[in-house]
Amino acid sequence: MSDVEEVLKRIQGHKGVIGTIVINQDGIPIRTTLDNSTTVQYAGLLCSLTQKARSTVRDLDPSNDLTFLRIRSKKNEIMCAPCSEYLLVVIQAAEVQ
Amino acid sequence: MFTNESLEPVEFKSSWKKERILSDAEAQTGELQTSGVGCQSFFCHDEGTQTEDESDQRLTMAQVDEGHLLQCLLSVEPLIARSLSNNAKSRAFEDYERGVGEEATSVTCVHTLTHSELSGELQVTSVSWNATGSTVAAAFGRFDHEDWCTHRAAVGTWNLDRRTVKEDKPDTVIDSACCVMCLEFHPENPAWLVGGNFNGEVLVWDLSQEDDLLLATSGIGDDAHREPVTRVHWIRDSSSKKKRYSVISIGGDGKILVWKVDQKKGRLKLQDGFVVMAQSLPRSMKVRGVRGDKEIGVTSLAFSHEDPDTFLVGSESGCIFRCSMHAKGSPAGSHIMSSIPLRSPVTFTFNPHHGPVHAVDCSRFHRHAFVSSGQDQCLRVYNLLQAQPVLTIEPGKGYLFSACWSPVNPTVFAAVTESGHLLLYDLSSANLVPTHTVEASPAKQPVFCLQFNSKQHQLLATGDGGGSVRVFKLSKDLVSSTAHKLEQLENLINTGTE
Repeated sequence: MSDVEEVLKRIQGHKGVIGTIVINQDGIPIRTTLDNSTTVQYAGLLCSLTQKARSTVRDLDPSNDLTFLRIRSKKNEIMCAPCSEYLLVVIQAAEVQ
Repeated sequence: MFTNESLEPVEFKSSWKKERILSDAEAQTGELQTSGVGCQSFFCHDEGTQTEDESDQRLTMAQVDEGHLLQCLLSVEPLIARSLSNNAKSRAFEDYERGVGEEATSVTCVHTLTHSELSGELQVTSVSWNATGSTVAAAFGRFDHEDWCTHRAAVGTWNLDRRTVKEDKPDTVIDSACCVMCLEFHPENPAWLVGGNFNGEVLVWDLSQEDDLLLATSGIGDDAHREPVTRVHWIRDSSSKKKRYSVISIGGDGKILVWKVDQKKGRLKLQDGFVVMAQSLPRSMKVRGVRGDKEIGVTSLAFSHEDPDTFLVGSESGCIFRCSMHAKGSPAGSHIMSSIPLRSPVTFTFNPHHGPVHAVDCSRFHRHAFVSSGQDQCLRVYNLLQAQPVLTIEPGKGYLFSACWSPVNPTVFAAVTESGHLLLYDLSSANLVPTHTVEASPAKQPVFCLQFNSKQHQLLATGDGGGSVRVFKLSKDLVSSTAHKLEQLENLINTGTE
């Protein structure tokens, strides 16, 4: 098992985590723990949303940059962490019982 | 002397044979006319279509530089890990009203179900949700009998998950020759239903059968109840290792009977039996001259969710008794006939209601909490360990026929009244007024029964005196629970124990 898989496995091991996806800057998934159609959907939508958020932050202050985007929904929380040319997406259930 | 003589021949015509007269005649049909006409169908076209290949949904993983990716991931991992663990512990969103505006904040009626063939003559005596929470069953009967029951009663079920629910006609109807007083669905098998009728018979039906739905019956006799069955309940069979359920039934004759379902013979076999007797009454309620082994009619039953051997019964005298399946109480009087020895199950007597108890129900969230309602218009919350109630509420809406704890919210319970209202109480609110008061009967008839749906938590069913079942959708605050509410319930129940 490569080190990348190990990191993803560590993240997946957290409480309430539903899925983890790594996306490249073109919106194409690199690693995923979800099924294919869900992954494609998440990758496409979150990539454009993160780019939009990033450009918003940069437009407000050119010296600033987006580090973390969290989306709280009724059912889950989606965390998007951009790192250079990749985007790490973690989906966590909203109600951790 | 003799001479030859020739006589004239005599001639006579036959009287039975007629002479035939023949004559010739001719007939000719009209000439058949035929003609030929040609026709030809239109020319046909063939055309083919083909759906497009869904190639855009195919997942193609991009190839990347592993080392670079690892570096990136390691740089964000601490951030993600911290957020994830914080989220799991966070209580920030606990009291957050989710989806304000789109979800109703009030209790709304979603279905009003009736059995139109009965034309409103019978009351709904009991309602029950099945194991999957999709089907509601209602028992039709009457509570006000003056002599023999001659009603043509029925049991009806409605599946509410169907796209079209026929509100005036049940999906399944089980006819009964006398009033059905109570019923309950099997806790695991969604098709099994147990009911008790006015004659004292306990019956088990299998709704998945085609024609003969009756699976087993107790029959009528010395072993069965001699008065109407007031409540039936499924209990886990402790004697067998497998997950089997027995039926427990209580009746107006004071008997508490445990039945084993024998599918092959179609019989309910009496397994165990108890009888509640006058000697268990508190001293203040004993009447001089009444024998101690005189039985008391029992009206309601509730099992503890923690301890399967402990149960509570409410009686016509107003007393609530704590009972145990293993109690070795005094045996029943010799005037009670039964094939197995009956004994008193009572281990403790609570401070009585001032009238018959109509319902008792144990909390799922606190092992000692239970609620009771009665004809004295009182709702009481008791601690299993003390005789005095910890809380008494008088809603002032007439007799209270049924009371039930919410299966999801520790502090919420509901009651139905003679005035046709459904009252929902939340013990976490400071004052003891119902958080919701809902008209549960279209014709302002008394409402006799109520049941929360333990699978689809937002649903609640009530049955009224006009023969209609109403299904309510509860508001979000009633079906969401927090750890804080559990503490509040514990505080309330534990007051006065120190």
